[in-house]
Formats: sequence, C-alpha cells, structure tokens
Amino acid sequence: MGARGLKRKVHESNEGEGSVWQSQLQSVLDISWDKFQRDQALVEPSLLRSVLINNTLRQVQSEVRTSLSGISGPRKLQAPPRVLPELRSQRECTPAGLGASICSLGLENMEDDFMAWSTDEDFSLSSAISAILKNLDAALDGGPSVPQRSALASVENIPGDGRYRQSLTFSHKTESCRTSEGGAPASMSGFLQDATIDDLLLDIDTSVFNGEVNSFGSGTFSFPADELVRYLPSLSSSPSAPSSSGSREMHELEHIMDILVRT
Amino acid sequence: AMAGVGGGGNDFQWCFSQVKGAIDEDVAEADIISTVEFNYSGELLATGDKGGRVVIFQREQESKNRPLSRGEYNVYSTFQSHEPEFDYLKSLEIEEKINKIRWLPQQNAAHFLLSTNDKTIKLWKISERDKRAEGYNLKDEDGRLRDPFRITTLRVPVLMPMDLMVEASPRRIFANAHTYHINSISVNSDHETYLSADDLRINLWHLEITDRSFNIVDIKPANMEELTEVITAAECHPHQCNVFVYSSSKGTIRLCDMRAAALCDRHSKFFEEPEDPSSRSFFSEIISSISDVKFSHSGRYMMTRDYLSVKVWDLNMENRPVETYQVHEYLRSKLCSLYENDCIFDKFECCWNGSDSAIMTGSYNNFFRMFDRNTRRDITLEASRENSKPRAMLKPRKVCTGGKRKKDEISVDSLDFNKKILHTAWHPKENVIAVAATNNLYIFQDKIN
Repeated sequence: MGARGLKRKVHESNEGEGSVWQSQLQSVLDISWDKFQRDQALVEPSLLRSVLINNTLRQVQSEVRTSLSGISGPRKLQAPPRVLPELRSQRECTPAGLGASICSLGLENMEDDFMAWSTDEDFSLSSAISAILKNLDAALDGGPSVPQRSALASVENIPGDGRYRQSLTFSHKTESCRTSEGGAPASMSGFLQDATIDDLLLDIDTSVFNGEVNSFGSGTFSFPADELVRYLPSLSSSPSAPSSSGSREMHELEHIMDILVRT
Repeated sequence: AMAGVGGGGNDFQWCFSQVKGAIDEDVAEADIISTVEFNYSGELLATGDKGGRVVIFQREQESKNRPLSRGEYNVYSTFQSHEPEFDYLKSLEIEEKINKIRWLPQQNAAHFLLSTNDKTIKLWKISERDKRAEGYNLKDEDGRLRDPFRITTLRVPVLMPMDLMVEASPRRIFANAHTYHINSISVNSDHETYLSADDLRINLWHLEITDRSFNIVDIKPANMEELTEVITAAECHPHQCNVFVYSSSKGTIRLCDMRAAALCDRHSKFFEEPEDPSSRSFFSEIISSISDVKFSHSGRYMMTRDYLSVKVWDLNMENRPVETYQVHEYLRSKLCSLYENDCIFDKFECCWNGSDSAIMTGSYNNFFRMFDRNTRRDITLEASRENSKPRAMLKPRKVCTGGKRKKDEISVDSLDFNKKILHTAWHPKENVIAVAATNNLYIFQDKIN
C-alpha cells in the first residue's frame, strides 16, 4: 500500500511499533475528520458527541505536532479525506508506540510535503474545531447572552434561553397546566425582547401599515403574507426606517409578528 | 450450579417471566424503548420510547386463583407524553423521544411521574376511576342536554360502579429552561423539588412552579471554542436534599452542596480516578465519559458507568473508586471499529438492587451483566426470545476472547452490536428485573420468588 508517487523502499525490518502507531493515528484522524464533517452538515449535532470528537481530533493534532518536533524524517501521513487505509487493524496503540521514534526512512524528499500538509492540516484543524464550536454556539444559543446570574435569584425561563414555542398544532396546554409562556400577549413580548427579532423589526418601514391600522383591530387580517415578506429587509441591510417611538408602533409590530407566525 | 447474585449469600436463579413488545424482526424506530423505571414500591413499571409514549405496567396481586401468574406485570396505562415539536427560530425539530422517567413518591391514591424529552419536562398524574355518576338532572344518560323547561323533578345523582379506567393527565409542563439537550432528571428527597440537567447546565425546579427554575450549575464557557467537557448525568442524593452529583464527559464526578452556595459551580467534592498510563490510547477520553451515575439506596456510595466498566465510589473517597467491574473488557482491542461505527458513543445505564449488594448493567448482543459486590462473582445473561419459555431458567453466557472457543461460547466478532441493552431496572424490594432490548421489555424473576 502507499500513496501515488511514494516510492516504496525495502525497509520492512524497520516496520514495527512506529507504523502501528502511524496507521492508528491515520485511522483515527480519518474517522474523526469524517465524523466531524458529517456532524457539521447536521442542523443540530449532539454536543457531547461533538466535544468528544473534537477532543480526539485535538489529541491527534498534538500527536502530529509532537512527532514533527521530535524526529527528523517522518513518513508521509496522507491528508484526509482519502481512501481509508486497509490497515485498519485493532492493534492497541501503546505508550511505547506513542513515544517510539518514528523510523527515519530517508524520505527527506517527502518531508517538505509533510510539513506543508501538516501545517495546513494544523491550521485547518484548529480553525475547523473552532468553527464547529462557534457554529454550535450560534445554532443553540445565538442571541443575547444569558443575563448575569445572581445568587438566589431565580432565572425566569427566558425566551432567549430555550427559545422556541410549542408548535400550535401540538400544544398540550390544559386548564390545569401553566406553561412558561403564559398567554399569547406574554409570548409576544417575550419574542420582542429577543435582539434578533428586534433588529429584524427595526428595519421594517412601518409607514406602509399606517393605512391598515384600523383593520388590525377588527379580527381577521387579510394582508397577504408574501407582500408582508417583501418589506422585510435582508439581514445585511442597514436600518432605514424612521424610528418613531411609541406604543402604537409596538402595537403594530406585535400584530406583524402575530401574522408572521401564523402564516 | 449457576453463579448467582443477591444478599444473604444465596444463589439466586434468574428465570424468564415475561416479554412485552412486538416479535417482528422489523423494528419501528418509534417503538424503541428509551427508558425503564420501577416506582418506589415496585408495583408499577414505566417505560418510555422514542415515539414519545409512556407505557405503565402494574403488577398483579398474587392470588390463590391464579397461582401461575406469580406477580405478572400487565399494561396499566398508555399515553402519549411528548409530541415532536418544531423550533421555528432555529429551524430545528425537537425529538419526542422520552429520555428519562422518574416517579414521585406516592402520597395519595394517584401516581405521579416526571417524563422528559430533550427540552421539556412534564408531570403526569395517573389516576383510577372506577365509579361514575348517573342520574344527572341537566343531561341524559348519553350526554345530551335536557331541556331545562321539561324538568319537573329533581334527583340526586348516584355513584355507580364502572369498569376500571386509568387516566393519565399532564399536571405541569416545565418548558423553556434548557438550551441544550436534557440528559437527566432527579426528584429530590424533599419531594418538593427536582433537578434537570442538560449538556452544560443544571436547573432546580419546584414541582408546583413551571414558569421559573433556579440555575445551580453552569459550565458553559464564555467562549464556546474553549468547550472541552460537558455534563452527562446528574442525580440528587437519596437522603440529603441539599446534595447532588453530576458526571462529565471526561470521567469526573462532582458532588455539590446547595447549602454552600446558591450557584454550585464550585464543587464540594471532586471524584476522579488517575489514568492508567499503560492503557492510554486515542480513545481513552471517549471511553472514560460517564454515561450514568446512580446513588446507592443507602446514600453511602455512588456508581458510575463508562464505556467499558462500572465503578463504585465511596462518597468519602475522591481519589479512586472502591470497586471496579469490567463489563466487556474484550472490546478494548476493538475501540477503533467501535469508534468508526459509533458504538463507542452508546450510553449504557446501570442500577443497584434494593439492598445495594448487587449491580446490573447492559452490554451488546442483548447481554446484560450482574455483579455481586460481596462475593465478587459476576454473571452474563441474555435477553432473547429463544430463552423465553415461562419460568425457564436463564443460562449464563460467555464471550470467548481468544484461543479455542468452547461450546456455548460466542466469539467477540460474532457479537451483534445492534442488539444493545442500554436500559435496565431492578425492583426496589424484590429480585425482579426489567431489561429493555430495543423494542422489547423482558422481565426476569428469581426462581425462589
């Protein structure tokens, strides 16, 4: 087995713990990388799983660094993704193997490639690990940070913390249950406290709805949803709407949110 | 004679009692059992599944009329606890899978339990109705309203017996307090509060109050990129209502005292076994991740389950466990494959028997293991339809780790890693155990019972 372009040399006598360790390092790296990438494609990967895989990747990374700094002519480690080596044996990686000197196989011509690859790998691994944790954070907890916790002060179930609403179809509310949302008005104000929604709504030119104010109070609202969406800016646009303060605007915004959620 | 477990030094003989669930080879994902729990008396046995349903079994009273039934468990109540939900803001579906069920101690005729999925905890009341009122004035027997002007006489409704009906109703819904996935709930010994734990936080609730909870542990780093450890399980001390423990993905357990500080980010005790350098590998950390932690009934010990072993800790000794039991050490040489096929992330639970003299945990190939703490004997048993003749004694199983395979042994490579026993429960007072094998629930009893 070997990579394209890698000249095989007759040095079977030097094979031993070094290659066992390397092949396992390679396996672990390949599998971890594969899992990492697959998990990134998921909307919500398990945090426990991600942390364990990331820690394993970091461990591999530090092993690679150690081996780089410790020896002079490492055998080339294939960069992932690639065909997984057949040598997926179950030989235990012993500490002796970990510390063992990697056979200097006279592959100096490969060393530069290795250094280049591993530096790239290092960099991409580090940034990849950072990215996945950042994404997890954004996916799970994006928005305002949790308020300062003070002793003996209960933390109200913050809309920002477990931010979701029960699907209106699957509501379990019964008369004897109190949910954390309370009635609909409470949940509306809870959403409006969310900075993300605030930013979104600030951008809406509410002068458009001035003519429709009276119809808000009359019950059914027939403003078509797609027209409404047209007035929602893209996330990158800067706020342009005049910020007229007052409860009237809040009232209108509440109704807009109401419609957005219902449609 | 078969090696047995139990207090008093007797050899117990485990026999098949019952199996619940479909026989179909094709297992519906929703039917996979995700939690099993006896109530405090052992009269009731609850299971939760991936489809969000709870099924409660009740033990039949032993009677002379049906001597063969020998305390069988039959379906008492079935209800849909959680439904799938959708988080619109994050475009995420929230699974309805029941992660944990915990019973409340019984205080009146009704039974109460807490069930939780990844995000929401619910308090359910299960009550019996065996009477109904008949002879209403304002409505007919079939429920139609009577014309009030036609009523010329008044009568008092009478309570008449009816077929027993068991009703489950949600009494409290504790929602919106967990950003991350809930892995544990635990009822406090004060019977008024309980804790819920997710990957990064632990909250304390009052059973009567649903719109707020106290956050008592928060290990979320300011910068998520620095996250290297998560909470994997938590439990309240069985007697000291101010004490609880939580375990981590790095194999550590922290014991916290709620009297010391309102925020228990600083632990009172820190349990960690020093790593054995001779067995270090790339997978050392993953296999050290604790999947379950359980206090003994006495409150003096706690037990932790990691991928390959079960450890018993004395609460007074933090630097190492007092007992370590190998569940399936033969898997140590297979860790790379098990990492690749994700089995290494399987979360096995563990449980104590009523007298704390024995512990039980699951493994692969539908095997489960029991360890007698006094005699240090262990046994491997299998939950399978083949051994399901009524009152048939279970034969001990053995995994061949190398060399010649003896008759009746099974080699490591033949183990079915899709048949995993993650959830087991032991009756609080008797030698009756419940073992969840994918979509089937097996109940075994000791022959002497």
